[in-house]
Amino acid sequence: MNNETESKNVAARGSIAFLVGVIGIAVVGYFVGINDGVPQEDFEQHAPWLSSQVEGTDQRSETPSTSTIAAVTYAEMRRSQTGPTGQWKPKLDQIPQPQYDLFAEIKPSEEDKLQSMLTRASRRAFNGAPPIIPHVVEGTNDAACYACHGEGKRIENRVANRMSHGFLANCVQCHAPPPPKPFTDFDTEVETTFVGLPAPLKGERAFPGAPPTIPHSTWMRDQCLACHGGNAGWAGLESTHPWRTNCLQCHAPSATLDQSIVPEQIGFLPEPNVK
Amino acid sequence: MFVQVTNPGQTLPNLNLLFNDKENLKDKFLIVSDVYPTATTRLADLILPAAMWVEKNGMVGNSERRTQQWFKMVDPPGEARDDCWQTIAIAHRLFELGHEGMKDKDGKFIFAVQDEDGKEVPVWEWEHYYDVNVDKALFEEYRKFTVMKHKNLAPYEEYVKARGLRWPVVEQADGSWRETMFRFAGFDDPFVAEGKEIDFYHSVTDDGRGQVWFHDYQPPPEVPDEEYPLWLCTGRVLEHWHSGTMTRRVSQLNRAMPTAYIEVHPDDASALNIRQGEVVTVESRRGTCDLPVWINGRGKPPKGSIFVPFFDESKLINNVTLEAHDPFSKQPDYKKCAVRIRKQSAEVAKR
Repeated sequence: MNNETESKNVAARGSIAFLVGVIGIAVVGYFVGINDGVPQEDFEQHAPWLSSQVEGTDQRSETPSTSTIAAVTYAEMRRSQTGPTGQWKPKLDQIPQPQYDLFAEIKPSEEDKLQSMLTRASRRAFNGAPPIIPHVVEGTNDAACYACHGEGKRIENRVANRMSHGFLANCVQCHAPPPPKPFTDFDTEVETTFVGLPAPLKGERAFPGAPPTIPHSTWMRDQCLACHGGNAGWAGLESTHPWRTNCLQCHAPSATLDQSIVPEQIGFLPEPNVK
Repeated sequence: MFVQVTNPGQTLPNLNLLFNDKENLKDKFLIVSDVYPTATTRLADLILPAAMWVEKNGMVGNSERRTQQWFKMVDPPGEARDDCWQTIAIAHRLFELGHEGMKDKDGKFIFAVQDEDGKEVPVWEWEHYYDVNVDKALFEEYRKFTVMKHKNLAPYEEYVKARGLRWPVVEQADGSWRETMFRFAGFDDPFVAEGKEIDFYHSVTDDGRGQVWFHDYQPPPEVPDEEYPLWLCTGRVLEHWHSGTMTRRVSQLNRAMPTAYIEVHPDDASALNIRQGEVVTVESRRGTCDLPVWINGRGKPPKGSIFVPFFDESKLINNVTLEAHDPFSKQPDYKKCAVRIRKQSAEVAKR
C-alpha cells in the first residue's frame, strides 16, 4: 500500500516537474515570440542597419505599432495579411548600398546593354509604355513601392530601379501588377501582331566625340540616373561620367519626341545681299 | 439595327431576355461595326470592320465640353474603314432603296457633300470618301444647330489650329475665337446675363437657377430571399475598359487581370464550403455564369453580397443581371439583384 502511494507520489512529482518545465519553456517561448523577430545582438553585427531604433506605424492596422503583432487564430491565418511590420518597414531605407565611386572608370559593355534592352522590352507593351511590375505586390501600397524605387536599391545582383519620374500616387494605375493570387496560373499571353516602336539603341552625334543626343522622349523619364548610372541603373546603359550633374547641358533632348514644338521648317534670315 | 462603338451583346442586362437566342427572330438584320469580334458580333448579320481612332480622321467632343479634331496617322489594316464612311454608305444604300428617313426636306440624300465647285461628290463610295473633307462638311452643318442653345462651336479650321476648344466658343471683336473655361460663371461665360455672378441659362424653369432633382425612394425590384439569398453587384476593374475588347488584347493588362471573378465574403465562402480559386456557378432567376472565386478580392464585399466585374466576354455576368431600370435616369439596375452560388460537382470542377 505504502509502496503504491509512494510510486504515485513519485509519478505526481515527476509530472509536476515536467509541467513546470513545459510552462518554463512556454514562458521563454512567449517572450521570444512577442519580440517580433527583432534581431538580437549577434545578428545585428552582421546587419548593422537593423540595430537603430526606428519607430514606425504598422500599416496593416489602424492602431499604432507596438513590438507585438496581434495574434490570429489558425482559422483566420489564411486570410490575415503577412509581411513586414511597421517597425521593419523604415529599415528598408537603411539597407546599406554598395559604395558607389563617382570617379571610377566605367566601361559600359555592349553585351550588357543588349541584355538590359531585352529585359526592359519584355516588361513593356511598347517602348515608352510604363513597365509592368515584375514581382509580387499583394498587400502593399505606394509607400512600399517608394521604399525601394524612390532612390533605387541594389542588394547583391537584385536591382530595384529608381523611378524615372517624380513621385506620383497610385503606382498600379499605370504599372500593371502581376495577377491576383487566385489567378496566378492563368495563361495570360494573348495573340497579337502589334509591334510598338522599338527602343532606340543610341543617340546621334554631331561629330565623333560630341555628346550624343537623347534618343528617347524625356516625358516621365527625367531622372536620368534611374537607368543611366548609380547603384540601381541598367547594366550597359551607365554614364561614363556620373560626376557631371546636369545631363541636359550637353545631351540635347528632342522637340519631336517630346511633342513640344513640332519643327516643320527651321527658319533663318535670308542670305545677306553681298555685292 | 446598326450597332457602332458599343457592345450590347455583353453589356445589356439580362442577356438571355434582351440579346441571346435572337438568331431566328423574324425580320432581324443586325449590322455591327467594330474593331474586333465581340459578344455582339455573335448575332450580327453583317460585320463591318472599323478603323481605330489613329486610322481615321474625325471630330470628337468629350464631357469636358472640349471639341477636338484629329488627322489619320496610319492606314487601317485590310478592309477596315472609317465608321463615318460606313454610316454614310449604309445611309446611301437605304436612300437608293427609297427610305424616307434618308432624304432631306428637298428629297436629296441627307449626307450629300459638295466639292469646292458645288459638284456633289459620291462620298458613299470608298474610293471617293477622301476626295473632299467629309468631316468639315458634316461639322459645318452640325455647327449651325449649336448656337440655338448657346453651345456655340467655332468653324472647323479653328479646331485644326487649336487642338481642342471648350464650348461655347465665341468670335471676338478681333476675329479670334475664344473658348469658355467656366460655363455659367459671369467672369468667363459670355452668355451669362449682365451683372450676374452665376446664371444657369436655358434652365427648364427659366429662372437661371441650377437644378437638383429629388425623387421618391423606390424599393428594389428584387430582394434576396431564401431561394436566392445573396445580393449581386457588377462593375469594373482598373485594368480593363468596359467590355475589354481592346484592353484584353494587351498581354500586359491581361496579365494583371486575366479573368472575371466573383468576390465573396469569407463567412459566405465558409458557409458555402467554397475555396479560393474554385470555379462556382452564380445563378439568378434569369441565367447563370461560371466564375472563379476570389475571397474578399479587391472590394471586400459585405457579408451576404457578391461582386462580379463584367469585362470578360468568356464569363458573361449579364446573363444573370436584372433588366429593371431606374425610371428617371433610365440606367439598368446592374448594381443589385438576388442570386445564389452553386458549388459545382467535383466532376465539373475538374474540367
